[in-house]
Amino acid sequence: MSKVLLKLVVNGRPQEFACEPNQTLLDALRQDLGLTGSKRGCDDSSCGACTVQVDGVPMLACTLLAAGCDGQEIVTVEGIADHGSLAAIQKAFGEWGGSQCGFCTPGFMITVHWLLGQNPNPTEEEIRTALSGNLCRCTGYNQMYSAVKAAIAAEQRGKVPR
Amino acid sequence: MSLPDFQLLRPKTLTEAVARLAENPGETQIIAGGTDLIPSMRQRLFTPRYLLDIRGIPELHGIRQTAEGLEIGALTPLTVVEHNEILRHDYHVLAEAAGTVASPLLRNMGTIGGNICLDTRCLWYNQSLTWRKSCGFCIKKDGDLCHVAPGGKECWAAFSADTPPALLCLEAEIEIAGPKGTRRILLSDFYTNRGDERTRLANDEILTRVFLPRATSGYRGTYRKLRVRGSIDYPLAGIAVAFKAANGHVEDPRIAITAVNPAPLVVGGVKEKLNGKTLTTEVAEAAGALAARTARPLTTSALTPEYRREMVRVLTKRALLDLAAPERKRS
Amino acid sequence: MSDFSVIGKPVALVDAAGKTTGQGKYTDDLSMPGLLIGKILHSSYPHARINRIDASKALALDGVVTVVVGADAPNKYGILPVGHDETALAVDKVRYVGDNVACVVAETEAIAEKALELVDVEYEPLPAWFDPEESMRAETDLIHEQRPQNIEKEYHHVFGDPAKGFAEADHVAEGRYIANEVTHAAMEPHSTLASFELDPQTGKPGRLTVWSSTQVPYYLQHKLSIVLEMPMSQIRVIKPLVGGGFGGKSEVIPLEIIAAVAARKAQAPVKITYTREEVFWAHRGRPRTIVDLKTGVKKDGRITAVAAKVIQDGGAYCSYGVVTILYSGALLGALYDIPNIQYDGYRVLTNKPACGAMRGHGTVNVRFAFESQLDEVARAIGMDAVEIRERNLLKPPCITVNGLRVQSYGLPECIEKTAERSRWRERKGKLPRGRGLGIACSHYVSGAANSIIRSDMPHSTVNIKIDRDGGVVVYTGASDIGQGSDTMVAQIAAEALGCSLGRVKVVAADTDLTPIDIGSYSSRVTFMNGNATLRAAEAVKKQIVQSAAKRMGCAPEDVVMRGDRVWKKSAYPEGGPEAALQAAPPDAPTVSGRVEGQILRGSVQQKRKEEGPKDQMSFEEAVVSAIDFHGALTGTGSYAPPVEARGGKHKGAGVGPSPAYSYSTQVAEVSVDEETGEVTVHKVWAAHDCGRALNPVSVEGQVIGSVWMGLGQALQEEMVWKDGLLMNPGLLEYRSPSAIESPDVECIIVESVDPEGPFGAKEASEGSLAAAIPAVANAIYDAVGIRLRESPFTPERVLAALRAKQADAKRLQLSGKVDPTHPETFREHGGSLSYRGRGAARHPLDPAIRRKSGAESEPKPEQGAS
Repeated sequence: MSKVLLKLVVNGRPQEFACEPNQTLLDALRQDLGLTGSKRGCDDSSCGACTVQVDGVPMLACTLLAAGCDGQEIVTVEGIADHGSLAAIQKAFGEWGGSQCGFCTPGFMITVHWLLGQNPNPTEEEIRTALSGNLCRCTGYNQMYSAVKAAIAAEQRGKVPR
Repeated sequence: MSLPDFQLLRPKTLTEAVARLAENPGETQIIAGGTDLIPSMRQRLFTPRYLLDIRGIPELHGIRQTAEGLEIGALTPLTVVEHNEILRHDYHVLAEAAGTVASPLLRNMGTIGGNICLDTRCLWYNQSLTWRKSCGFCIKKDGDLCHVAPGGKECWAAFSADTPPALLCLEAEIEIAGPKGTRRILLSDFYTNRGDERTRLANDEILTRVFLPRATSGYRGTYRKLRVRGSIDYPLAGIAVAFKAANGHVEDPRIAITAVNPAPLVVGGVKEKLNGKTLTTEVAEAAGALAARTARPLTTSALTPEYRREMVRVLTKRALLDLAAPERKRS
Repeated sequence: MSDFSVIGKPVALVDAAGKTTGQGKYTDDLSMPGLLIGKILHSSYPHARINRIDASKALALDGVVTVVVGADAPNKYGILPVGHDETALAVDKVRYVGDNVACVVAETEAIAEKALELVDVEYEPLPAWFDPEESMRAETDLIHEQRPQNIEKEYHHVFGDPAKGFAEADHVAEGRYIANEVTHAAMEPHSTLASFELDPQTGKPGRLTVWSSTQVPYYLQHKLSIVLEMPMSQIRVIKPLVGGGFGGKSEVIPLEIIAAVAARKAQAPVKITYTREEVFWAHRGRPRTIVDLKTGVKKDGRITAVAAKVIQDGGAYCSYGVVTILYSGALLGALYDIPNIQYDGYRVLTNKPACGAMRGHGTVNVRFAFESQLDEVARAIGMDAVEIRERNLLKPPCITVNGLRVQSYGLPECIEKTAERSRWRERKGKLPRGRGLGIACSHYVSGAANSIIRSDMPHSTVNIKIDRDGGVVVYTGASDIGQGSDTMVAQIAAEALGCSLGRVKVVAADTDLTPIDIGSYSSRVTFMNGNATLRAAEAVKKQIVQSAAKRMGCAPEDVVMRGDRVWKKSAYPEGGPEAALQAAPPDAPTVSGRVEGQILRGSVQQKRKEEGPKDQMSFEEAVVSAIDFHGALTGTGSYAPPVEARGGKHKGAGVGPSPAYSYSTQVAEVSVDEETGEVTVHKVWAAHDCGRALNPVSVEGQVIGSVWMGLGQALQEEMVWKDGLLMNPGLLEYRSPSAIESPDVECIIVESVDPEGPFGAKEASEGSLAAAIPAVANAIYDAVGIRLRESPFTPERVLAALRAKQADAKRLQLSGKVDPTHPETFREHGGSLSYRGRGAARHPLDPAIRRKSGAESEPKPEQGAS
């Protein structure tokens, strides 16, 4: 198979590299770019551990061909910290027990990051629905909801001029 | 598990796509959202020489109102179908069905065209190469026997997409592009009701657009889905119901079911039973019985066929009664 | 002022930021120059002799480095000393579909996968055993020659006088309960990277380093030494972040050994990461279990006797099986006061993936049966379900009839609190039809008092080092698998030393650096490693206190360490230093250099001479003065369970005893849709006695997670089998709950303060799982009056049970002709596959079919299945 040259913008940085046509975006991120935050948890596109944003929309990196994403903008879990500090949602997941083993966490970070970008004040049901494409095996999801709510509160506090 | 080798083709126009497809028709597989195809390729259910990635064709995206109704590009993501205001209002059953597909993440990727063309599913088929080797290959892939129908020579894999029954209720048409130009057919003529050769899409053709007629705009409708989890799962049975509500009566009713046959099917005899009637429990139950009679589930999934058929009955009845509820309240 | 300054407060896990930013490394995230990828060839047959393996075509493929087979490392191993029945790769025969046959090592995953298809294996299929009750009658074609009747182990225990107990009972209930098989499904698929380094003296491959997703790095080191015939000192096992275990990584998993053998043969580092399907084959989950249970009660609710016969379908290898079948019996005790117990347990081998330890190891399925039957007998004698549980409480401190020592016992409070929060007394029996409440209790060990290796060595040892930078480094062998043990260790060390949490750095689970801890299983880590940490911290503290006492001119007993400062008791501020802490939060350690930059430059002795005696000083200053006297501060602590907690003398008495037990009570509120059979859990109130909550947010997370995992087993998770073939080996079809159907779980922490636990703490991560299943079963009964004796309570089973009650003719077909209210045996998946595991013979590439040129007669398909 001849390799394909492609250009991506990953976490704000342009990247240019060659990959096999059958390489998934997940493998390209993990192996070619060293961004191992996105995880592989299943082989049947059901777990969400590899969730990344493609042109602003959360998708499964394991189910996208890297070469098919040529020219698109990718945001991974490595790209959501807030100017070198933990983003509110990252801090809240730690404080509220939203992350235990942490393997699914990168996927949840991307999904929640997207959710709060779309809808800064989601209802509990909206949170639940938004998270329903990511599987977690540790938390039973309960503490994640507290974490999301705490992050929203923190964001709102942050916006109030002092 | 890696993907098999292939060459990736990325046409920028429909014309180019059709041309590329015509070059190697039997060896080229179309990929849109990839949510079903990619896992299936991992399992070596498909090992095409060429993969035609049509995501970059702008003309196949988006929803447009036309003089005759509504036109949905085949590449429109299911999330867009789910949230589109016109669909939610005028073709509610479709928006609702789209909102039940898999999970929010998969709906961001999966397309309406892909959902219509979805491969049929069977617990004996959707497995890795190693697994299928252990079990003995089946008719649908690499083998000559069926594990669910004793001695059968036909494939009974279940058509497992959520939106087609809704589209059937709305009398949707589809546009197909091929080397000889485009053709437009009723969606109900698209499926074969065979698990292996599931659609009448020739191997040099592409599904391009879906048309919803003005006639069914404003039909009251709903979709009910049987699944174990509240998300992610394919349907184990699905029922779409739509009708024109007129003065407390049902006009032009349709019921279509999915995931319990090798094709999505319109339930026969519904018009005769329901037209002009008020939706009473008795009427709804009769419709449920009709739907259950149309369902022929086999052991293609973890739930028993008997249970799935029973749920077709119950969910059909409930769908109708739920639609009747606002009428009842008013009267 | 609270009694503690660090523990008892909700803190983020010390490794949380690595997890939320993606910076934390799990094994599959690791790489190194020259790394090769290993892929395992798995058996297509459930039971077959291997006559020949020909890898020549695979080796000829470009990019393939080597192919490893059983003969490369034939030494047997197993997690239990009595169960050494596994080899790295099959040596003579395969025992389940998915058994390990060969491993291809290649430059890329894709090449290795292609090469797998080219390995030619000639199998001679053998009759296979799939149903445990049939397997127990086997006389020929044994799965392991040394195990007659395919019984791995059986135990027959009698405590008290069960016959007399049943004779005295006013009511006796009897029934068969079946729990289907479930698996851990941790989000991280297993992964191992193995690398040898060349020995400078011999010039040959010397030391081996293995990074692996394991709960038991020290056992892995030991088993590697057996299989590779290398001294343990030459093997270093490092546990990176682990993406969940739940028991699935609590023993040595085939890929861990295979990766090391492959690295040796390939003369290069090798990484193997399982596919999700391989994770299901590696399995080691909770065996499907038949429980024949009998309970006798007096009219006043007192239990007079219990008899249980348990058959576990253990799969093809021993794994933890002997321990599982013993836990199933032993943990009939220590929850309630039961005077007479009879237990007959059978661990049976079948040609399926091996079962092992899974969260709530051994107790879960029996607890489902017991708590369900307790509900039945309560109804029979007209007693409330809460009351019957209260009538049978233990009176600790005590030793149960089967020799388990119980000291702290928060069960009464757990029952009381859940009843109160769920408003049981007001609402029970008054909910509309279709909605119900159910209660159940459970308990679990805080570590096993007797280790599986039967050694007198401590179960945990911890070292602490404090050097002139004032940083506290804790070296612990405890394996954090997401449950938060690194954080627990840091909190205990900080609390004991009176320093801030941010000052403590934990170095964990690296066999070169950290002292032995036997692993993260049987909920032992907080109790045992926590105690070892506490002792190590106290050993260091003693040195600091001695020198501080001299500096402050007081007796060592008058020195207080707290809030990152050291105080003379007389100067210790009233109300504690918490007010001062507000100004400088504990998360921000004061910079060591503040001691006027003298820490590294030299001694503070000179400066000290110039000053008079003090009445308080900073932690750094105290540390540096202690170091000036002694050199770098180090302390060691270890923990071995006390002799009094180690149980009785009967055969099998080693399993069950624990230094302390956790207790749990749950009330589930459900509604049942009588037309669809769908069960909705609206809420679970879960009280858990964890002794003391060292980190309440973590305790809640563990309890909620346990309850949730129990709900998965109760309602939807099930491994579906057909002739030894797993029908749902993936996360799409093995349906662990999504966010949508996961209910609100209210966790109620009960603190009984155990006299031997670190600060009174006991386990929190497993004990709550078991109660969830019967709580739901009992709630379903309350809602619609059907008694489900087979889990999971899928909609089709619930509907079948409802129909059975209505005597509808269609009833049993809904659940595959098995009545879930009176299950007799395991249900196989429907369909006509009737090859009894010979399906692979049909593969056109299979040598067997090529030899016979496709002429083999086909068995007739089974009739009847839809």
